[in-house]
Amino acid sequence: MALEDFRATATRCARCSYCKWIPFAHVKSWRFAKGCPSIEYNKFQSYSASGRLCVSLALLEDRISCFDEGLTDIVFKCMLDGCCDVACKVCRYDLEPVEVMRQLRFQLIDNGCFPFQDIPLIDNLRKEDNMMMARKADRANWAEGLDVKDLTSEKAEVAFHVGCRFSFDEELRETPRTVVSLLKSAGVDFGIMGKDENCCGGRLCDMGYRGEFLKYAENNNDAWTTAGVKTVVTGCSDCYHAFKRLYPAELKNFKFEVIHITQYLDRLIQEGKIKFSKTVPLTVTYHDPCHLGRRGEPHVPWKGEQKKIRGQVLVYEPRKPRYNGAKGVYDAPRDVLKSIPGIKLVEMERNREYAWCCGAGAGVRERYPEFSSWTAGERIEEATATGAEAIVSACPHCERNFTDAVNDRGEKMKVYDIIDLVGQAI
Amino acid sequence: MALAREIYEALEAVVGPDNITEEPATLYSYAYQWMAELVTDVTEGSKFFDRPEAVLMPGSAEEVQAIVKACNRFKLKFHVFSTGWGPWAAPPAEGQILLDLRRMDKILEIDEQNMFAVVEPYVVAGQLQAEAMKKGLNNHISGAGAGASVLANACCFQGGGPDCMYFASPQDSILSIEWVMPTGDILRTGSFGSGLGWFCAEGPGPSTQGVIRGALGGAGGWGVVTKIAIRLVNWPGPAVLPIEGTVPAYKTALPEDLFKAAFPAFSSWQAFADAIYRIYDSEIGYIAHRQFVMWGDELQAAFLKIVTDPAKQLCDLPELLETPEIQKLTEEMRRNFQLILVGMTPRDLEYQKKVLDEILRVTGGWNIALVDEPAMQRYVLLFMIKLCFKSINFTATGGFIDTYNSVASPDVWASGEIEAGKALLKKYAGRIGDAGDQAMGPIGGQGGGGVTGWEDFVFYDPYDPDSAKAAVEISDEGDRIKATLGRPPGGMLLGLARATHAKEDIRAKKLSKSPEYRWQRRLKEMLDPNRVGSGSYFWGAEPSKE
Repeated sequence: MALEDFRATATRCARCSYCKWIPFAHVKSWRFAKGCPSIEYNKFQSYSASGRLCVSLALLEDRISCFDEGLTDIVFKCMLDGCCDVACKVCRYDLEPVEVMRQLRFQLIDNGCFPFQDIPLIDNLRKEDNMMMARKADRANWAEGLDVKDLTSEKAEVAFHVGCRFSFDEELRETPRTVVSLLKSAGVDFGIMGKDENCCGGRLCDMGYRGEFLKYAENNNDAWTTAGVKTVVTGCSDCYHAFKRLYPAELKNFKFEVIHITQYLDRLIQEGKIKFSKTVPLTVTYHDPCHLGRRGEPHVPWKGEQKKIRGQVLVYEPRKPRYNGAKGVYDAPRDVLKSIPGIKLVEMERNREYAWCCGAGAGVRERYPEFSSWTAGERIEEATATGAEAIVSACPHCERNFTDAVNDRGEKMKVYDIIDLVGQAI
Repeated sequence: MALAREIYEALEAVVGPDNITEEPATLYSYAYQWMAELVTDVTEGSKFFDRPEAVLMPGSAEEVQAIVKACNRFKLKFHVFSTGWGPWAAPPAEGQILLDLRRMDKILEIDEQNMFAVVEPYVVAGQLQAEAMKKGLNNHISGAGAGASVLANACCFQGGGPDCMYFASPQDSILSIEWVMPTGDILRTGSFGSGLGWFCAEGPGPSTQGVIRGALGGAGGWGVVTKIAIRLVNWPGPAVLPIEGTVPAYKTALPEDLFKAAFPAFSSWQAFADAIYRIYDSEIGYIAHRQFVMWGDELQAAFLKIVTDPAKQLCDLPELLETPEIQKLTEEMRRNFQLILVGMTPRDLEYQKKVLDEILRVTGGWNIALVDEPAMQRYVLLFMIKLCFKSINFTATGGFIDTYNSVASPDVWASGEIEAGKALLKKYAGRIGDAGDQAMGPIGGQGGGGVTGWEDFVFYDPYDPDSAKAAVEISDEGDRIKATLGRPPGGMLLGLARATHAKEDIRAKKLSKSPEYRWQRRLKEMLDPNRVGSGSYFWGAEPSKE
């Protein structure tokens, strides 16, 4: 696909501005009615999904050039969190705003237009295979002292893919270690890739680096195949999205079951393989990670075309899968939380497919830290409004961004990954 | 043509460097406009009108005032919008700056006892409704839906909608306002003008009733309304609507002893019209609109099945249309409308239901059973109360305009104009969406009823030049037919887009001879001596000679 393939979408946008709000059915207050961090922070129309469709069309019609002042900022200053996509598709069956925004990024990167902040990040990635400005040799440090299968030399049905953030963020390392402990005690046959684990590439793809993403997708696919893996479990929503949605779309021979750790824990709890012995007296609110929720819908193969019936009614033949957030992972994390003794779960106004983003996605944390922190701060404020003592997520990128935002603002809100709370209750 | 540096710096000094831009990509995002492709003498079929020279985001009335004064000083035209949702949002000509009011987005006050709210321009109807409902109140939502500006609909455009019969039309609900006039003076009207609060439009203090709420409003040409107080009505339902269902088929379960959605249907248009008169007379109904026929009377039943089922898509239409259930429903629903009964008490609702039953009995009408299914009841209540799905106008083909509209007393439904509109659509079948009678509109267009009417929807594909051309042709043909009948032109949306942007619009010239537009043009000349406020045709380039 190329940007040109989305000329029709860019032309058919009605500029109704639904993309700037959560679905209006769900608006519960003035304060938390907005859905798009990008336009809320950057204000001008070009920073909305609709605005980026206009910009795409202007680019396709040669009204502007990739090298125009400000264009890079407009295109990349967005988490690609996809709330716009959900809100748009409440009424539209023929538009794909997030797809257009991704293609716009690919086009700019292909033309050598990218935020200068990327240079060290991409340099390090090419040398060290991670997005954390860290050394590849240190990737397995998190697992030090754990007796866990090494899938580069041993075989197991389940691969626990830890991901870059959990591997290298020292403050978060207890979380993957808890996963290992939980899986072991549940009797799961699993292993890790250790220092040879690769970046999933999902974030790279959202940042616009499609070529690098494909390299990592192929590497991971090959490594799991060699190790005899059938199921890939990850605790990172970025990785989950990459494996569940992006890999099957790009790799013809991708055949692995992909499960997020919250789904796996939910399954193990229901099967009685994880039993709680302690109470965790805490009122929490759950933050839906974008890439686990609305963007975490499984890829469904489709090949077909758009046709018109009844004169001009736009339809797809055969039926095209609809990615509108309906099939994201929302219930498993909540079910896990509800099963922990002592936990009281309260909901934020914006949740599930219309949750506000944490601010970390698509390279925004690295490229635009102030915007990223502001976005997280907005979510913390929403969490505080529920009366919760803690905000809980199911993604290390969300956890890191929230933790930093809480610390920067001197807030009292606690930040957890669900895994941490499960670990506390064992 | 970039702004002279002296001008840019003067404007930047007002709003600060973060709130002004002249970056080309952003400017084009403000030139892109719904329906631009139809105003071909300007756009040659593209989606872009003229781009502004700069976009500014003022954060207060004082900043707006300083910008307007600078425009007078530099003889620079300014164009203004609140949400930018309309065919008049892009600048009407080159050489203009654009004021995007999205930073002015506060609900300043909800006065529960006196039943009004004070809002800034970027507060949308869905936001105000969410806050008003917490206080047992509700606000008018225009036909454009929950995402449209409360202020702009009331002051700057004739923002009617499905609820006007109970809520009154928005221009009748304006109380005090704060208005930055085209000279840069700030006028505070009504009771607010005397420092006594926002509660009254007429005083003590200057009144601008009849000016700021004129037909089609000021469209930005009379300066910038920066705050309004607007009337609210009673809301007996929950503080927050409980939403259920899978995206996009959201629904709401409301107390059955207070809420009831009905689809009254009739065997003749005369019976349809008689029922409307009786609804006016008996004063029942909270919201009344002929809504779902917008998809066409041949498709409305099938479309309702699609939009209420998250598993269905538009490709299911042909199969659905073959089913006996849909075929029966389609016939039953030919002449139906949507009526939302809301009781302030359970006894009140019971009364309204009995009155409706009686109206149906004496007019030979019936209620479509489909709406009594729990899921449909919940969908229709949510749709009509929150108007949260209004971009559904674009669902079928990606674009729509209206043609051959009518606004009159209820007898207009039996005047033969519905059939004339249908025949017109039929003529263009294939190039536009053609599904029979597509006459959507309010059952009561003003407080208490009295006026009803419709827009004949024309669905076209903005990406298909021939379909877009057909939309223009049908709109023009509709206007010509109306002219032979001695009636005003029908196609409002394309008319407005052309009136704002076209180099020469015969339709606009015709309209500009009518007394109300001459009156507005005269006002424009008084209010805007330097002609810096951009706007529509009726205060176009030439001063009036009267």
